[in-house]
Amino acid sequence: MPHHNTKENANMSFSEEVTHRHGGETLTACYQCGTCASSCPVARLDARFNPREIIKLSLLGEKQEILTGDAIWLCTSCFNCQERCPQDVEIADVIYALRNIALEAGNSPNIYADFASALIADGRIVAISKFVEKKREEYGLPPLKAVHVEALNTILSATGFTKPEKKEASQ
Amino acid sequence: MEQPKVGVFLSDCGKQLSDILDFDALTNFVKNVPNVALIARGSEFWRGNGLKAIVDAIKGGKINRVVVAESLPKLSEVNIAQAVSDAGLNSYLVEVIDLKDHCAWPHRSAPAEATEKAKAMLLSAIERAKLLEPIEKLEFPTLKSALIIGGGIAGMQTAVDLADLGFEVNLIEKAPFLGGLAARAGRFFPTDDCAICIQSPSSDVKTITHTSRKCVYRSGFSEIPNLSILTNAEVVSVEGVPGNYKVTIEKKPRYVDADKCVVCGKCAEVCPVETPDEYNANLNNRKAIYLNVPTVHPQIYAIDEDACKFQECAKCVAVCPTNAIDLGQQTEQVTLNVGSIVVATGFKEFDSSNIKEYHYDEYPDVITNLELARMIDGFGPTGGKIIRPSDGKPAKKIVFVQCAGSRDRRYNPYCSSICCMISLKNASLVKEANPDAEISICYIDIRTTGREHEYYYERARDMGIKFVKGRPTEIYNDEEKGKLIVDVEDALLKRFLDLEADLVVLAAAMVPAEGTAELAEILGLDLEADGFFKEYNAKLRPTETKKRGIYLCGGATFPKDAPTASLHAHSAAMKAAKFLTSGKIVKDQRTAIINEDYCGDCEFCPVMCPYGAITLEPTTEDHFVAKVNEILCEGCGVCVGTCPLNAIELRHSRPNQMSAQMNALLSVNGTSKPLVLAFCCQECGHTAVDSSGMAKMEYPANVRIIKVPCAGIVRVNQILEAYKAGAQAVMIVGCKTDGCHYEVGSAKAEKKMDMAKILLKEYGIEPERLEMFKMVFIEGAQFAEAAKMMTERAAKLGTLKLMGDS
Repeated sequence: MPHHNTKENANMSFSEEVTHRHGGETLTACYQCGTCASSCPVARLDARFNPREIIKLSLLGEKQEILTGDAIWLCTSCFNCQERCPQDVEIADVIYALRNIALEAGNSPNIYADFASALIADGRIVAISKFVEKKREEYGLPPLKAVHVEALNTILSATGFTKPEKKEASQ
Repeated sequence: MEQPKVGVFLSDCGKQLSDILDFDALTNFVKNVPNVALIARGSEFWRGNGLKAIVDAIKGGKINRVVVAESLPKLSEVNIAQAVSDAGLNSYLVEVIDLKDHCAWPHRSAPAEATEKAKAMLLSAIERAKLLEPIEKLEFPTLKSALIIGGGIAGMQTAVDLADLGFEVNLIEKAPFLGGLAARAGRFFPTDDCAICIQSPSSDVKTITHTSRKCVYRSGFSEIPNLSILTNAEVVSVEGVPGNYKVTIEKKPRYVDADKCVVCGKCAEVCPVETPDEYNANLNNRKAIYLNVPTVHPQIYAIDEDACKFQECAKCVAVCPTNAIDLGQQTEQVTLNVGSIVVATGFKEFDSSNIKEYHYDEYPDVITNLELARMIDGFGPTGGKIIRPSDGKPAKKIVFVQCAGSRDRRYNPYCSSICCMISLKNASLVKEANPDAEISICYIDIRTTGREHEYYYERARDMGIKFVKGRPTEIYNDEEKGKLIVDVEDALLKRFLDLEADLVVLAAAMVPAEGTAELAEILGLDLEADGFFKEYNAKLRPTETKKRGIYLCGGATFPKDAPTASLHAHSAAMKAAKFLTSGKIVKDQRTAIINEDYCGDCEFCPVMCPYGAITLEPTTEDHFVAKVNEILCEGCGVCVGTCPLNAIELRHSRPNQMSAQMNALLSVNGTSKPLVLAFCCQECGHTAVDSSGMAKMEYPANVRIIKVPCAGIVRVNQILEAYKAGAQAVMIVGCKTDGCHYEVGSAKAEKKMDMAKILLKEYGIEPERLEMFKMVFIEGAQFAEAAKMMTERAAKLGTLKLMGDS
């Protein structure tokens, strides 16, 4: 159970940090009706994740809890919550913004470091398997084009893309 | 015309001004101004001996123009104008200026500079006074009659009030029966009494005490001598002016003669047609000839022409004992001439089928609060039983879903304000009648803000009604269980609940009644963004509109509970009565005049006029000129500021009067700073200047103020004229866009200034020398800041060079 915080010890500027991010702009419209939570397929299965709670914690400025916890990485981006939010809060996009903040703070699951390495090396997050190639052929789809890795890396470095550090396995 | 003889009355406000300003210098200065016939100094001129001095000078024939320098002119000029008028001089031949708040106090650190500015202000007032013309009083007769549109709780009460006061009242209702949404609601909070109960009219001879309330059907409502009721009737068009509206009404046939029907019901017994009863939310069928409920008003059967088979059947005609049924009735056009119109068209439930995830149009057991109210009503389709419409079985488990379509940016962003109370009331009524019913209310916030309202919430908890803090995401149909499932998270427990329900009741949002937008178009009224009628001023004039003589009441402006609708109805009746009672509109002819020699064929002013006071009239076959309707013209001058041909002038703010003021204000500088001229609207702009002075905020004396009726009157050529006369920068100070006293003036001025800046560039003038500011009275500090900012800006830019200057 997360502990309850009073306004005094909450870092209020965190919500501003989120609303100034691309994707985070709509955060403050939330009035905690919980439509997102009841729309969420993950929240039913995993008590660590509740979109309403993530929004509330962001509004109250619970930066540490959000950035070091697992919750924000559990969203499947199904956008059910976003479709149904009566206040047009772009909940999934807010979670992306939070992930970006967490990643910059060095708090991302190791799989993201693997993704980044793959992207830099091959231009793809997921390598194309023989299976996929075969299937495409079966369906009459053209083979996937090779990525211009060098050009992609130019773009990545120009946009400030940073590869997250892998953390030591501690558990 | 007689030569102007100006009397100048200089008040030192009990020496507080003469401590700062050099009054001897002022007197000497004024003495040498041509046409000044009299100078008087005193401590105050707006009452007592001071005012008597003005009156005596007028009566003695010494003066025919009055200039008074007095503090608080907005207060004192009322008194002065009245006294001047009583003395036999037109009250518009007076100019009152404020040497305290506009000069001595804000510039008290530089008394010499303040004295120079005071000279300029006095000169400006004198030059303006010389050019002032008398303004006549206009009178327009008004009819002592009113039309009330909408026969719900608000419209009926307004009708009773106005009829009791002796006005001829016409009440029209679109439906065949009165009562509107309220009648369908069954019972009302916070009194828990029934919805069809109204205050008895005073014509009811059996009313024993003034507290008497009665059901509409026995209230004598229809027998009020000067009230006529038209049902099945809608407004088609409205012509005319305030006090004399010609209204065309389309009255659809009822097919039953009101004077003959004895409400025996034999017609309905023989009628073979069964059609869904929309009054009862289609929970039952009714006949094609029907009453909504037995207690309905008027007590006359009506035929539903979409369902009736007419001559093919005509069984009702054969059976009617009084020959009251006339299947040959036709739609009639009725014309009414009324002085005033009250709009009481109300609101309706939002169509919940828009919210796809609630499956309102798919699952019969998902209903709305209004539909539940029909079930609760003993006269309703189920005789008071709460059932599942899908199979008619009793509903044991009931879940209410609040904010269905309200507080939702996808549909209606506002809180409909009454649905929490409606759900609490309905849930309690159901629980009271069915103690073993399991009731839950899913809510975002429970809002019970009125007197006695919180008690409903308390009572509901006491009764065992459960509250779930959460807005459901979806309503499912569990076919195996034969139940609906409401999928909701209780945010307080952070637990997901799948609430089983026999019946789900949506607290549907409340939206404007059908036809609101069309009626607004017919009446020339504005709607708010939420689609409801817009009041003239939500704070102070909640039942008035921008059109004189047209009023709003009840749910037409926003969803209301019964007490608020009543309050609104009585307020609208009072406003309409106040308008109608004298039988005439009296107003000053401070209106726009068209110079027909210049005017021609453009459509700017009729489009821009916020009051629809200007129309285009043909003079020859292919030439149109603008005509001003003096009843409608409110004297803002937005048309003047709009006209591309300088063909419009506003009485009392004519261009020559404004030029004389401007030239005088800029003729004397006396400071080391560049002259800045501020056009201030007489409403918020000019009073913001007052408040900066009253609070003794300082800004430099080079800033000169010219009062205009509205920022919208200022023309671009007047701004150029100001630069020519010596202004180094020009400020336009108007009301906030939403708070403009003339609806659009401030917004139009702002747009115009943006264009003017482009034009200034063409003339080689830095556009920074012009700026528009919007403020309210209390923002005196903003004015002082703006004045300083413009002074600094002009100083930085250096002396203005106009084309042609060497």
